[in-house]
Amino acid sequence: MGIRKVEVSDAELVRRVRGGDIATYGALVARYRDRLGRYAAHMIGDREDAEEALQDAFVRAYRSLARCDDPDRFGAWLYGILVNRCRTVGARASRRRRLFVREVEGILNESAGADLIDRLEWDDAVNRALRRLAPEHREAFLLKHVDDLEYEEIARLTGAGISALKMRVKRAREQLQRFLREAEHV
Amino acid sequence: MFEHAEDELIERVVRQLRKPVAIDERLDARVMRAIAADARPARQRPALVRRWPLLAAAALVAGLVIAQPWSHGSGVRSDSYQFVLVAPQAASVALVGDFNDWDPARSPMRAAHSGLWATIVPLAPGRYHYAFLVNGVEWRRDPAAPAALDDDFGSPSSVVTVGGS
Repeated sequence: MGIRKVEVSDAELVRRVRGGDIATYGALVARYRDRLGRYAAHMIGDREDAEEALQDAFVRAYRSLARCDDPDRFGAWLYGILVNRCRTVGARASRRRRLFVREVEGILNESAGADLIDRLEWDDAVNRALRRLAPEHREAFLLKHVDDLEYEEIARLTGAGISALKMRVKRAREQLQRFLREAEHV
Repeated sequence: MFEHAEDELIERVVRQLRKPVAIDERLDARVMRAIAADARPARQRPALVRRWPLLAAAALVAGLVIAQPWSHGSGVRSDSYQFVLVAPQAASVALVGDFNDWDPARSPMRAAHSGLWATIVPLAPGRYHYAFLVNGVEWRRDPAAPAALDDDFGSPSSVVTVGGS
């Protein structure tokens, strides 16, 4: 007897939402917001646009929930929607040529030392290098290395072939290295 | 040796990019508000916006939305309204108001996920006072709704007017 912690599966949460318990959708939002938000932020490079894409993805997923054929794979299905939203919002954002600035509120203060300055400069260099990648290279790199997805999964999400994806990741790695080396010598 | 150094650089980049990114805490509430609005009958939307212009614009931490049509046998049409409160520290939350005789047992709120509490009640057209009862002892008014100015009991409460057409 006693209390035990239970983890409700995506499929069960989806079933409840489909049954009319819309408040349960909040649990799915909470489950995926941070990981998907990170992807959107790095992919788009602008915080407000990233949050717009993320919110759009969640709302579109809800509206299309009946079309989620495999509720156990809700996360992958949602990821696919976000990837598409990021492409649309990202294309618009890139035209405005704004740079994503990492959230540093609460970190930077009067006692900021050399280590912190180095870290912030490194953060900025990484973000700038990421911005310089072609969107399809950035997308493949983030999904493969940051979100740790298999190529088969990435192929399903992006619609690209595995060979093309491997080439995109390779090019992204090479270019990131080059951009960061250049930044070191500025 | 050169390849190893490049791998280390990429690994450092990946470590950097895997760090959490700050996402607006209000995003969850905005999503829930949007999907609840989807479930609303279209003809209800203008009335709600007219009465609560701030509701649509505010950064929402709590509130009320129409969820879906609801019909009573009495012939008086009611709609379902979802009340939402963000209370991360709460162990329990109940919705109390004129519509349930201020009885917390009649409208306990469910924790949808960490910090978000919600419940749906049917309301016929009219004006209602309501509040949230947190942990059975703490009265809170709805920060996303107008405060009730004519509260008879000295406790914080809010007011909602439900349109009839």
